[in-house]
Amino acid sequence: MRGWAEAISATRPRVVAALAARLRDLDLAEDAFADATASALTAWPLQAPRDPAAWLWRAALRRAIDAKRRAVTRARYVPDGPAPDATPEEVLMAAGEPIPDERLRLIFICCHPAIAPDARVALTLKVVCGLSTERLARAFLVAEPAMLQRITRAKRKIRDAGVPFEVPGREAWPERLEAVLATLEIAYAQAYEDAALAGDAAGFAAEVMRLSGILAELAPEEPEVLGLAALVRFAEARRPARLDDTGAMTPPDQQDTALWRADMIEAGANLLDRAAELRRTGPRQIMAAIHALHLSRSEDRPTPWGDIAALYEVLAQLRPNVVTAVNRAVALGEAFGADAGLEALAQAEAPEDWLPYQAARAGLCAKAGRTAEAARALKAALALGPAPAERLFLQRRLAALAG
Amino acid sequence: MLLVYEPTNSPEARAKRLAEVGAKHMALAEELRAAGVQKDGAGLQGVETATTVATAAGGAQTLHDGPFAETREYLGGYYLIEVPDLDAALAVAKRVPVGDGGKVEVRPLMVY
Repeated sequence: MRGWAEAISATRPRVVAALAARLRDLDLAEDAFADATASALTAWPLQAPRDPAAWLWRAALRRAIDAKRRAVTRARYVPDGPAPDATPEEVLMAAGEPIPDERLRLIFICCHPAIAPDARVALTLKVVCGLSTERLARAFLVAEPAMLQRITRAKRKIRDAGVPFEVPGREAWPERLEAVLATLEIAYAQAYEDAALAGDAAGFAAEVMRLSGILAELAPEEPEVLGLAALVRFAEARRPARLDDTGAMTPPDQQDTALWRADMIEAGANLLDRAAELRRTGPRQIMAAIHALHLSRSEDRPTPWGDIAALYEVLAQLRPNVVTAVNRAVALGEAFGADAGLEALAQAEAPEDWLPYQAARAGLCAKAGRTAEAARALKAALALGPAPAERLFLQRRLAALAG
Repeated sequence: MLLVYEPTNSPEARAKRLAEVGAKHMALAEELRAAGVQKDGAGLQGVETATTVATAAGGAQTLHDGPFAETREYLGGYYLIEVPDLDAALAVAKRVPVGDGGKVEVRPLMVY
């Protein structure tokens, strides 16, 4: 049974996307897929389908058309908007036709800039990946009704504002892809942060990784798409090493390199190479390259902090924000000494009540021998309510300062 | 509906802006009409000409001088267009000439 559930989940992006494109209605597409899934789970154990995706596509389409027809009969008029364009005959004829690949179209719809970024993330993971509202609520630390409302609002906006069910024209791609990439970045940041806490969030990260892979497959000429896919793989490569035996967070330069996943590193490196060949740089490619440098550490090769600092210099131009500025200060401190780092940190204009700032400050002060200031920064960081893994890490550093 | 917002500033500054973008508005409107996209549109006089009817809870109505809200932008005019979807509307909205800090809000009309 578990095998079938996995087969269904694997087909979902493709089948739901094809349904949404055909029916021009996200709710109807999702409901039809859910119905088809329920029938599949009773039918398949008796007779295995030759092609699970095709089976689900046909069953869902038949159900959606039935549902539409019932609605039409009930209301006695055809609702506004394009009518379903398939009759049962056409559906039967479609049986032999391959499922159209509409995944890119669905991703563009769910990540339209007209939808609030938070809602885009939730909608994409719900509709494309099939994550439940309950699971999304848990991952984004909101109550389930609030998450449901976020998704419902986004769907309503798509319908009422007239978000087109088309892949945008090539001229609109830079702007629209930016919205898609920003969505996936938020989703991954959430999964990454979460993963240090709970094992079940690792599955959530896997969905984001899958989505970034789909996008890289669909838009192979877009270097930032490849860059993001690489970035996610590099970050996932280090996941098994991110916590030590006591459950404390371990920074990249202290992780056990034997725990890093070679398959992920290789996949990321391939993607980043392909991105580089397109010769259009961008922030995601630079961030992926920074990850790659961290991953280049081995027993006889220390972390190349000088190169990392140089890349942060480039990133600070492309993405001048406080996150970049603080990370740059840390890299400068490692590469050129604590004073260089502290000077950069002072210019970062980071808010005092921001945990990464206090953690960076603690590290740089400790390096400079300013123990009292380092301790103060660590206490400030601990007061900001870090996640358990990070709290352990910070507490240990504080104890080390005292000893 | 494309609602055109301009930054609030002195009548002189607005007159200057109008001199700069007025002809562009005319050209865009002409082109949209010719393409059958524009249904209606107009520029509005300055916020100092505004009077607001406010209805309180219970239905009591009062008149106020000035626009309903003191904001950094004011509604300068509108275009009513008919296009197939949001992306097409956004493409027109990007071509609406506004001064620095200007904004164009796109909203579908209610259908009765």
